[in-house]
Amino acid sequence: MALDVELAEIRDFLAAQEPFADLPQEALTRLVPRLTVEYHRRGTAIMTPGRDSVHLYVVRSGAVDMRDAIGTLVDRGEVGDCFGSTTLLGGNPSTFSVVAIEDTLTLAMGAATFAELCNDHREFGEFFDAQRTRRMAGAVAAKQASASGGAILKTRMSELARKAPITVSVRANVREAAQVMSDAGVSSLLVMDGERLAGIITDRDLRNRVLAAGRDGTTPLADVMSANPVTARADGLAFEAMLEMVARNIHHLPLMDGDQVIGVVTTTDLMRLEQANPVYIAGDIAKQKDSAGVAAAAARLPRVVESLVAQDASAADMGRIVTSVGDAVERRLIALAEERLGAPPVPYCWVTLGSRARMEQALAADQDNALIIDDAAQPADLDYFAQFAELVTGWLVEAGYPRCPGDVMATNPKWRITLREWKHVFGEWLNAPVPDAILRASIFFDMRPVAGDAQLYAELDDLVRSQAPSSKRFLSHLAGAAVANEPPVGFFRGFVLEKEGEHAHTLDIKRGGVGAVVDLARVHALALGLPARNTDERIAGAVAAKVMGAARGADLRDAFEFISYVRMSHQAAQVKAGTPPDNHISPDELSSFDKRHLREAFGIVRSAQSTLGTVYGTGKLG
Amino acid sequence: MAWFGRGRGEAKGLSRLAQAGGPVGAYAAAGLPDPATPAAHLRLLALDVETTGLDPAKDHILSVGFVPVSGRAITLDGAGQVHVRPPDGHEGVGASATVHGLTDDQVAEGVSAREALDLVAAALTGRVLLAHHAPIEVGFLSAVCRAAYGCDLPVRVIDTLALAQRAYPAHVEPPPGALRLWSARARFGLPVYGAHDALMDALACGELYLAQLAELEATSSRPVTLARLASSP
Repeated sequence: MALDVELAEIRDFLAAQEPFADLPQEALTRLVPRLTVEYHRRGTAIMTPGRDSVHLYVVRSGAVDMRDAIGTLVDRGEVGDCFGSTTLLGGNPSTFSVVAIEDTLTLAMGAATFAELCNDHREFGEFFDAQRTRRMAGAVAAKQASASGGAILKTRMSELARKAPITVSVRANVREAAQVMSDAGVSSLLVMDGERLAGIITDRDLRNRVLAAGRDGTTPLADVMSANPVTARADGLAFEAMLEMVARNIHHLPLMDGDQVIGVVTTTDLMRLEQANPVYIAGDIAKQKDSAGVAAAAARLPRVVESLVAQDASAADMGRIVTSVGDAVERRLIALAEERLGAPPVPYCWVTLGSRARMEQALAADQDNALIIDDAAQPADLDYFAQFAELVTGWLVEAGYPRCPGDVMATNPKWRITLREWKHVFGEWLNAPVPDAILRASIFFDMRPVAGDAQLYAELDDLVRSQAPSSKRFLSHLAGAAVANEPPVGFFRGFVLEKEGEHAHTLDIKRGGVGAVVDLARVHALALGLPARNTDERIAGAVAAKVMGAARGADLRDAFEFISYVRMSHQAAQVKAGTPPDNHISPDELSSFDKRHLREAFGIVRSAQSTLGTVYGTGKLG
Repeated sequence: MAWFGRGRGEAKGLSRLAQAGGPVGAYAAAGLPDPATPAAHLRLLALDVETTGLDPAKDHILSVGFVPVSGRAITLDGAGQVHVRPPDGHEGVGASATVHGLTDDQVAEGVSAREALDLVAAALTGRVLLAHHAPIEVGFLSAVCRAAYGCDLPVRVIDTLALAQRAYPAHVEPPPGALRLWSARARFGLPVYGAHDALMDALACGELYLAQLAELEATSSRPVTLARLASSP
């Protein structure tokens, strides 16, 4: 009889999952009829510690959490992931709990089938051995992974002490020691008694123990040095040196090979160890002699972000670091432009706008900048600033900051004007607001001086902060725009449905996610006349002024941090994969954990928006 | 009560079929599952038929797929699918090909309707028939049974469409299409399948039942038995 039992759909599903993909087609075909299908409602336990389990499960749809006996999350199983093998291989009862965190459909095979597959197909068995080891290591491994970003864990101290130490005799006086330090360009000296390390003297000692103590240059070194200093063994790890220095609050550590001193490690050495150390990059940028050099140094920034994500830095910290590097680039290029064009005819202030002004820059950011020119400028002087803006923005493009598509740049004559003109422009926005114009202008209300005469900016800022709080129509327009920028909750609508591939769209996490909070915080800051530009600080300011509840504020800041973190992680993954970073996240790259939290975060933003609407009366737009 | 009201006809059919011998006779001799059986011990056969139309009097079966459900698990080793050739003198798949994608050649190689009934009866012995919009499956199988043995096929039936309907309050009309198999599944986050043959639809129906049962058991204070789940055939 033509009995056709081919469940191709299930076979093809398995064939797409590790480790079933390694099985030959006929093994898969034979496997399917030996499976059972079970459904587990969200919240129900599939495996329980102390209970026997005799199945290997494959998640067909939904998701499960695996926890060890004390409740530590060991792994999260999503579609295609297996669980139950640890108990099958290690013996009953189970030491894990597995709970469905979504409505979950599983395929299960019995212990005998599993043993047979492991036996017949070596790679299949090895996959589960490796998985078992990984899950046993569990949470500990997860913690180690987050700290494993740096070279500091792998480098030996002897590799750091490349130069012979600079020494001075214990019989020298303070002036002689200072002379040696000055000549050698070092911040510390090892003080030797013959071959023996007797002490160490540092810049800090000269300041604290000599000058501040009112002693003179003839003071014997032996009286002010740190005798018998803490040392480290040359074969130790750089990491240990760092711990030692942090614990004792010292910045210099002599390295010993036996009883012979072979060098000194400083905190600066340890920082430079990290090729991707942002402080180092910013310093490097400041030293560059031309725009190409600046561009080359700035090109290391994406790697920095990647390593920061690996080290689990917060999105707020990463935003500040990316901002600092961006500032360093801009400042250096401005200095180079002044060298090229000569000193400016009148004072100016170069301001940055938008995310960098807020200290929240991510990768893939356009340049947004403007020039405030001193009112003393004569028409003939303006040519200088036109050339100046051309030069700087062109070099910024070279350094990886593309031109602003909306032409919010100092090259645009509209945004390269005198202070008096700027005051007029802001006056129009604040006092005679046109809705469209306000929308486009919002970026100018996140402004920060980067180079030149900051006083020019301060005058403009004073005007905004004194007038904005009473500009009700302006605030109402701005609040309306902020509320209209709804977080894309629809992206997750029926988050179970979206797995069916109905949403081919990606999420623009900058516009709809990060942007919604930024807009919200800006309205509060302007309404309150706050000096804060940073979104986090603006929210804190709104809470302090009691226009936002403390709990709401804390939620909103957490939501902002989480949304920003997802964005940074997305960009870090792109850098790692060698693709240019952007802000478009596809649902596939989000874990169900991320999705759940993003959805919550968006919910928080939505409710904060509705409150904003009530406070500033956004109903009357137009 | 439905269980008592139809008792006599059902008993007559069972006894008539039991004498017929063969798989259908064995099915009847084994009797129908007890309405008091708790869901955890219930044995079912999720079944789907592809047909040339909706009227068992005029149309005929082209394909049958089924998969057994035992308690709260689907056991794939009992899965089966068979194509059914049209009765002599009847046209083939006709316009219905657009619905199920079966071709005349495929069904021509199939078994006769009576052989298909034997196959289903063997798989269904001791089990409850589980289908989405079960009147179709029951109607077509009974039509074959009447032609062969002169009586309807006595069955216990659970209809996942009726269970989906119960999720809505009596006075609320479900949105159009909400009760269809694939919409009803979506509510439980069940996966979408690419292929839609009788076997995959039977599996889809079985999975939907597991999800509906889990929901019912989680929200119900009384034990869930066959009597609570069943529809009148």
